[in-house]
Order: sequence, then C-alpha cells, then structure tokens
Amino acid sequence: MITATALTKRYGAKTAVNDITFTVRPGQVTGFLGPNGAGKSTTMRMIVGLDRPTSGTVAVGGKPFAASRAPLHEVGALLDAKAVHTGRTAENHLLAMAATHGIGKRRVREVIELTGLESVARKRVGGFSLGMGQRLGIAAAMLGDPSTLILDEPVNGLDPEGVLWVRQFVRHLAGEGRTVFLSSHLMSEMSQTADHLIVLGRGEIIADAPVADIIEGGTRPRVRVRSPHASQLAELLAAPEVAVIRSEAGLLEVTGVEASGIGDLAAQHGLAIHELTPQNASLEEAYMALTAGVVEYRTEAVR
Amino acid sequence: MTTITPTATHPSQGGVDGLNQRGRLTFGGVLRSEWIKLRSLRSTVWSYLIVIAISLGMALLMSLSMVGMSSGEEIDGGPLPFEQTHELVMQASTFGVYFGQLVVGVLGVLVISGEYSTGMIRSTLTAVPKRLPALAAKGVVLFVATFVVGMLANLGAYLTSSIVFGTELEFFDANTLLTLAGGALYLALVAVFALGVGAMLRSSAGGIATVLGILLLLPIVLQLIPADWAHDAAPYLLPNAGMTMFMGIGADESTIVGPNAWQSLLIVLAWVGVSLAGAAVLLKRRDA
Repeated sequence: MITATALTKRYGAKTAVNDITFTVRPGQVTGFLGPNGAGKSTTMRMIVGLDRPTSGTVAVGGKPFAASRAPLHEVGALLDAKAVHTGRTAENHLLAMAATHGIGKRRVREVIELTGLESVARKRVGGFSLGMGQRLGIAAAMLGDPSTLILDEPVNGLDPEGVLWVRQFVRHLAGEGRTVFLSSHLMSEMSQTADHLIVLGRGEIIADAPVADIIEGGTRPRVRVRSPHASQLAELLAAPEVAVIRSEAGLLEVTGVEASGIGDLAAQHGLAIHELTPQNASLEEAYMALTAGVVEYRTEAVR
Repeated sequence: MTTITPTATHPSQGGVDGLNQRGRLTFGGVLRSEWIKLRSLRSTVWSYLIVIAISLGMALLMSLSMVGMSSGEEIDGGPLPFEQTHELVMQASTFGVYFGQLVVGVLGVLVISGEYSTGMIRSTLTAVPKRLPALAAKGVVLFVATFVVGMLANLGAYLTSSIVFGTELEFFDANTLLTLAGGALYLALVAVFALGVGAMLRSSAGGIATVLGILLLLPIVLQLIPADWAHDAAPYLLPNAGMTMFMGIGADESTIVGPNAWQSLLIVLAWVGVSLAGAAVLLKRRDA
C-alpha cells in the first residue's frame, strides 16, 4: 500500500508534481500513466526517498520508506534501467545489493533464473542491451521478495517476448496480494496489464479510476463511414450533438450517431455506403482525450 | 522465459505479511555490500596493484642510487654510520607514498563518483535509504583496504631497500614499524578524504581534479607566494602534514620546526573530517 498525501515537488520555479493525493492498493496492478514530463518518475523517486518532497508526504505500508528496517523487503524498485555500475558484473551487482540485508547467494541465483539472466550473469553490465538492463533491474527489485513493487517504464526496450513476460509477471505478483505500481506512457500496454489507473498530466492527477471506467468515460463511440457521397451524407448527419470529421476524400469519422442510424439515413436518401465500421474506444483514445490539454511537450501536427 | 513459475519466487507469505524471519538492513550488511562493490571493480584492483608496483619500484630505484652515492663517500670517510643508513633505508622504502597518494586519491573519488555517473547511487540509496550508513561503510571499507594494501606495499619496499643496502631487517623496531604503518595510514586517509570530495562534487573529472590539485598543486602554489603566512601555512597542507606524520616519527624533537608527527596526524585527520562532514551533509540534503 502506497499513500501519497498532498505530494508536491518543485525544482526552482518549475513544479514537477503539484499537490497530488492517491493510494495504490495491494492485490492489483496500478498503472501510472502520463505523457513524458508529467511527473511520474519524480513521484516514484519521492516514494523511495531519492527525491525529497517540497511539501506533502508519501508512505509505504503506513510509514515513510526511509524508516523501514528492511527497505528491500518492503519495496522493490526499478526506477532506471541502468541504475547499475557498468564496470561490475550482473551477479556481483546483485550480490552487493543482497548483502545489505543479509540476503543469501541462493536468492541471488533465484532472481537471476527468474529474469532469465543466467547466460550473462558473469558479464559486465556495461555491455548489456536496454532489455537486459531492464531484466537486471527487475531481478534487483525482486531480491528482497518485496510486498510492494515500483516499476518505472519496465517494458521500455524489451522485445515482444520480454513485454509479455513482464505483463504476466506483474499480474502474477499482484495476484499474490502484492502492491504493484507500474508507470508507462504506452497506453496499449497499460490496458492489458493494469486493473486501476492513475493518470498524471503536468504534475496533477487527471484521473484515478479502474481501467474500464477510464475507457468508457474518456471517449464517445465513433463510426467510420466510407461513401462516394460523403459530402451529402455529412450534410444530412449535421446536428448539434453530432461531430463529423472528413479525414480524406470519401471517408467520414462520425461521433454522436450509432452506425445503424447512419445506415438508415443513407438508405432513406438512396446513398451508397462502402464501409460502415463502429470504432471501439481504446484506452489510447481515452488517454489522448484526458491529457489533450495537459501535454507538456506537444508535437506539431504533421501537415 | 515467458512462463512464470510460482516456485521461482519465495512463497508470498514473506512478501506480503511482513518481514518476520528475514534479513534486515544492518550496518554489517552494508559493510559487506560495499566490500563486494569495491573488490568487484577492475579500477580498484588496478589502483592497488599500481600502489604496490610504485612502492617496490621506487624503493628499488632510490636504494640503488643512494647505495651508489654512499659507496662513493666510503672512499674518504669509511662506511656510513648505522643511523644514517637506517634513515636512507626508511626514506627509500616510503618514497612510493608520494606517488601512491595520487593513485589512492583517484580511487577514493571514483568509489563514489562512479556510482553517480552510472546511476548506481540510486540502487545504493534505495537499499540504504537513510544514506549515511552507505557513506560510512564506503569510508570504512576503503580505509581498511587501502591501509592493508599500503602496509603490504611499504613492507615490501622496506624489504627491497634493506636488501639493496645490505642492512639487517628490523621489522620489530617500533620506529621502523610506525613509519611504515604511518605511510599506509596516510594513504588510507587520503583515500577517505578523496571519497568525501567525490561525494560532494558527484563527478569523476571534478573530483579527481580537485584532489590532485590539493595534493600536487596547492603546495607548489603556496611556495610561490612570497609572504610569511604562506610559508607558515605550508605544514598544514594535506600532503605536507601527511609526509611529516610518518617521516617525522622518531625524529629529534628539537630539530623540528612546525608541527611534529603526531600533530601532523591530527592535521590530516582534520582534512579528512571536514571532507567527510561536507559529504555527509550534502548526501543527506540533496536529491539523488
């Protein structure tokens, strides 16, 4: 259980995290979503005491992380794929981390096997790919068999097999009753992994709800219509609650009317329709809708 | 790989219910961790090998050249008196410390700046969130390892120059041992001093430049200043006090100007203390 209360972090004049309050509960995967620069990593660093909050508090299991008598058993954190000395072998890195808590060699071997690092364990970390670095970070996080996992962009740089592995792994951990807090800017990934979402934009919480609620609440169903009489059809559809976007010649994106309504309307006026596809709302779209106003670094639309 | 084997993790009762029956964070554990870290880097191994090689090499070179000189004198005045020879042997066997201090200074900086440049510091401080035990453990491990290596190097150097001079070995002479151990102690203290500088600056380049500046440049700059205060301040510089703290052992008190060996040790300790205190305050206060 992670509890943040009125958590704020300012770097000089820039506010990275602004007065956020949230709870991450055990037994489920909580996704932490937001565009780059939204303050996800800063928040995670504050949870494990690497950054000091400007104001507010954050507690893990009811007390500040630094007060824990066994931090590695309390929280396993992957905050940076390569928070590892590049000149040391993976095995020695894990042995050194384990030694702080008197965790034995056997457990080190276990986490190496768990993350599939057997073949590179005796190699220096400097030569690791980003994916292997992620696996090593997850191995280190699992050393203390912690009750809370905090993973910042854990699938970053992983191959599809690795992504699938992380997804199953965190679901398995949550299933064991652990608290799993996972950040990502990849919405598609979150929709398949997380049960609950906390969406952050410009340092503030824009949504804190179960994944299903966010998908439902974030978008209105949309219908794709292809017709040689697109302009006529668009005129017929015009109504205050209906939005029609012409993305290319002969193609309409319609929101506010069901597909059946469009089909009937076209039939009444004898207009041919070549395609009529209801578009399912995706988390991606819900997310774009949520964060549309709060993106820190926006790219200009391609013209 | 893509399947999760439940047996691969510990049974969840440990992970969720609490921390019973399992390891806790202890200072002993942090010490072991820092020892693993120190010995598992190639830079450490290389640094210590260089300290030993320089010590032995310098002792050999110095002894050979001094034996050459003193055998020249022999023609007019007979063999050198024992005391003088002994002093030359001691000089030759601790000469490597002048160079060794530069090597262990660099090593001391790298022990912590390497963690900042690679990001390792975030792993370290997540495992030891109170932070100061991690710095203390680094200091203790670096101090002990450097002292042991320095002692081995100095003993080897003493053996080398004694053989070249053809004098009897006096491993159990108090002043001989104190001088050799004093040289090793100085190396260990320089390493810890550099650790503090590295922790304050968090950069390898900046830390190494600062430490080498203090060890090499500062004494020269001070010598160039034609003022009394500069002359008076010289014995209080880290490398000058460091040399006095072991070379001044057993010296005739009446011939000494400025701080004696023990006072010089206190001066060196003050340098180390200030460096570590600064490091501790900044480590505790800054975001990692």
